[in-house]
Amino acid sequence: MDNRNDENLKELFERFFGPEQAQMYLDDIEKGEQILREHPAPEPDDMLIANIKAQIALSALPRRANMVKRIAYRAAAVAAALIIITAISTSWFEKSIDVEPEQRIQVASVFPWESYDIDTLHNEVEQIEDELMDLESGGKKIDSNNDISEMEMELILIAGDFWKG
Amino acid sequence: MAKSDDLALIIAGCRKGEARCFSRLVDMYAGRCYSYFYRLTGNSDISDELLSELFVKLVQKITSYKGGSFESWLFKIATNIFHDFLRSKQRRQKLLDARKEQLESNFTELKKTGDEQIDRLQIQLKRLDTDTRELIMLRFYSQLSFKEIAKMRSEPIGTTLAKLHRGLKRLREFMEG
Repeated sequence: MDNRNDENLKELFERFFGPEQAQMYLDDIEKGEQILREHPAPEPDDMLIANIKAQIALSALPRRANMVKRIAYRAAAVAAALIIITAISTSWFEKSIDVEPEQRIQVASVFPWESYDIDTLHNEVEQIEDELMDLESGGKKIDSNNDISEMEMELILIAGDFWKG
Repeated sequence: MAKSDDLALIIAGCRKGEARCFSRLVDMYAGRCYSYFYRLTGNSDISDELLSELFVKLVQKITSYKGGSFESWLFKIATNIFHDFLRSKQRRQKLLDARKEQLESNFTELKKTGDEQIDRLQIQLKRLDTDTRELIMLRFYSQLSFKEIAKMRSEPIGTTLAKLHRGLKRLREFMEG
């Protein structure tokens, strides 16, 4: 029992009992503790230690299981909160747009690739390209001067969105 | 790695409920705590029970340990367990007083078989009052500083120093006498 947190006993005893008595007190304590060192107490039985460890292992198991349960409950709570927030924000967003059903159809038709699959989109791109080639070669009658540029713009937009994914 | 870092890791493992970390604490402190209980009670069976109770409490209370001296925290629990034992012993004593004859015969039997006949120190320790004996053992086995012991016992440090000095001096006189 040598380590006593490095406290300065001499200084401590001098503070309370004065320098003369301090040394005497320290000597008495040292002699008393020497007797304790010379008469060591019995050690705990190995069987006792094994029993304690087994008891701890049994009581620690439910603690661990409870911890896993707590983590699972927390994760479930977070997931539930996310779902609720998403649902609320979606309904709020739909209300805030306030679009007439006819307008929604128009919007859908402007962005066909949002719902179509990739083959459909590819076909549409090809169709527009064909139309553009017809217009440029004069195979089709041009109704307006802006038709070609509009077609090109549409093609660029479709191609851009397509590669963005 | 420093010893305190090791202990911090072990305690962190205990807080997560890892049985192997608790086992390490048992290996580290069972000897000292058992000796503490044995010197206070003078009985190996009771010391066995108290030591088991201490580690059960340790598992239950480890999450309430908020840092600081672990020894101080552990021996505070040990001291409380010993005080509970003393209280229950007093209750038992009252019950047993009603059957004094039977108690006396048991006591004689215990004297014949107990370890205390072999251990001279244990006999002399019994001559000290419980509080002084507890203070001497706490200082010797817990390795706590006087400041920590005084704080644990809720008394001025000067009182702790004087009591310990007086107690050890008397113990030496008893042993030499």
